[in-house]
Amino acid sequence: MRGGGSGFRAYAVLYLIFLYAPILLLPLFAFNDSTIIAFPLTGFTTRWFEELTTTPALHQAVRNSLIIAVSTAILATCLGIFAARAATRYAFPGKAGIIGFIMLPLVLPEIIVAVSLLVVLLQIGVKLTSFTVIMGHVLICTPYAIAVLNSAFLSLDRSLEEAAVDLGETRLSTFRLITLPLIMPGIISSLLISFTISLDEFIIAFFLSGTEPTLPVYIWSQLRFPTKLPAIMALGTILVALSILLLMIAEYFRRQGIRRAGGKDSGGFL
Amino acid sequence: MTLIPEKDPAGTPPAGRPIIELRGVHKYYGDYHALRGISCDIGAGEFFSLLGPSGCGKTTLLRTIAGFEDVSEGEVLIDGRNVDGVPANKRPTNMVFQSYAIFPHLTVEENVGFGLRRDPRPRAEKAAAVAAALEMVGLSGFGKRAAHALSGGQRQRVALARALILKPKVLLLDEPLSALDKKLREQMQSELRKLQRQVGITFILVTHDQEEALIMSDRIAVMFEGVIAQLASPQDLYRRPLTRQVADFIGVMNFLPATVADEGGGQIAVDVAGLGRARIAAEQCPGGVRAGAGSVGFRPETLTILFEGEADRGRVALGTVDEVTYYGDMTYYGVRLDGVGEPLTISMRNLIGRRVLERGERTRVAWDPGALVLFC
Ligand SMILES: Nc1ncnc2c1ncn2[C@@H]1O[C@H](COP(=O)(O)OP(=O)(O)OP(=O)(O)O)[C@@H](O)[C@H]1O
Ligand SMILES: [Mg+2]
Repeated sequence: MRGGGSGFRAYAVLYLIFLYAPILLLPLFAFNDSTIIAFPLTGFTTRWFEELTTTPALHQAVRNSLIIAVSTAILATCLGIFAARAATRYAFPGKAGIIGFIMLPLVLPEIIVAVSLLVVLLQIGVKLTSFTVIMGHVLICTPYAIAVLNSAFLSLDRSLEEAAVDLGETRLSTFRLITLPLIMPGIISSLLISFTISLDEFIIAFFLSGTEPTLPVYIWSQLRFPTKLPAIMALGTILVALSILLLMIAEYFRRQGIRRAGGKDSGGFL
Repeated sequence: MTLIPEKDPAGTPPAGRPIIELRGVHKYYGDYHALRGISCDIGAGEFFSLLGPSGCGKTTLLRTIAGFEDVSEGEVLIDGRNVDGVPANKRPTNMVFQSYAIFPHLTVEENVGFGLRRDPRPRAEKAAAVAAALEMVGLSGFGKRAAHALSGGQRQRVALARALILKPKVLLLDEPLSALDKKLREQMQSELRKLQRQVGITFILVTHDQEEALIMSDRIAVMFEGVIAQLASPQDLYRRPLTRQVADFIGVMNFLPATVADEGGGQIAVDVAGLGRARIAAEQCPGGVRAGAGSVGFRPETLTILFEGEADRGRVALGTVDEVTYYGDMTYYGVRLDGVGEPLTISMRNLIGRRVLERGERTRVAWDPGALVLFC
């Protein structure tokens, strides 16, 4: 038994190393005083971070990415709220089919979505800008938003909304006073998931961004220049730190949501 | 206006204008016919129960009154006004939900005061109203608690206070006690009854517990499959059920096959299997009389087992004890009368010095024709 246990432990350790070692290399080389990404390390520097602050193209890419990710998160979550509410509260003809089509991008290869969107947009003569990227990202993020919000609506007792209406509130004020606060953890999850997906999405952004590259597209374009590599490492380090921060915020809100609704914490992702 | 009210076979509503009038209410869910022509009046200040087995349409009827379902056909009048198309938030009714529907993200106080949000009164007055409502249900001092930190019975009280604070004309309760354990349920039954007398609001209670309906109600509507089978006071319902189905649903009823022999002269002569010829008063035939085969029903407590040394009284039949169930204060016997296949249930009080019969013993059973109810 003990042998089996330590076997599994070794497996788990190896697995974690495999998963995280490459990410740990990022900060290592980001602070390494050499343009060559190789051991041994030569010295400590913050030069690469300084270089980031003086690259206008990068700033533009970050700005584009943030605008796209925030817009996508908000749009996909709003659409997700409507769709999830309709799916969980109403019966209408063709419901299963409609929901199925909305969820389809979840399993569709992204390259197919990207190419077909590009063809359609070029056909109808739409200029490729951040706006077209937002459209593409909303398309692929909405299914995730619906999946998250669906479970939020499902765990919401329907008679809570009826009770509020019974006590004199309108449908709209009921949504604001009862539904919204109780599905808020779901909304925040949906926002964060959509934001994250949009932020690091490459294929659709690459096809549809035109002359306004997003951060992943910019990084990809910089990989052609070996001297830029350490700066990319520095950028990666910042992104990892931000991701961890974002996850911690998300987890905080999730726990708070559970506490407010009086439920028991049954795990979650963290 | 007529001075003598027309004799209503469905039960006499109390005097005065009814607060709720249902007129031929039908409800379809797609193809499913959930309510099949419900008509009845519910008086102001009445404690009215809807009683029936699961799926008979009690909740549906309650929800059509509350305004959560629209009727497919027929009319609902509240306080003389047709409420067709009036949404739930504009109706003078409030509901206590089966799940209580306490808002989990609000405190007890905020829950109870929720309905006062649109009330123009100053804040202090509203706070006083909330405190009074909490006091009424015995939850003073609980105002600041988080709603999810309450026990089942406390939630039920919060739901009551929250609905009553708006002083509705009608309070609708959908199986409000079914989630509580037996002790608490019995306590809440009497508290609810007291509360209703105190506030004088019409209560409409949905329940599938016949005992609960009998204990609490002024009148009971027994529903089966979307229709009201009988609407009567608890006593009438128990003593003179309209059909065998109602009789079976309310308490325990023994049935014996019977044939109507003669229906002249205000009394009906009936030949009952195992008991012989009996004369039954017309009022004991609530469902009407038809010549031919039918059955008679009688409650377990209307039969008496005669012990050794007790003189015959009334009419007596002989039988064999088939089953004995001892309840402490009572003993329920299953007695097979000579010449009858099915055993009859007889309940006997366990008086001091009275022994409990054993299975297989022969016994005499006294019965009273006045207790028989005829079903044709
Ligand atoms: N929204 C709905 N859509 C379709 N059928 C429904 C709907 N609501 C209720 N029904 C059906 O209508 C019938 C009556 O339901 P209802 O909820 O009124 O029963 P009930 O008497 O309250 O039963 P219970 O004691 O189990 O609560 C049931 O057969 C139920 O399946
Ligand atoms: Mg019900």
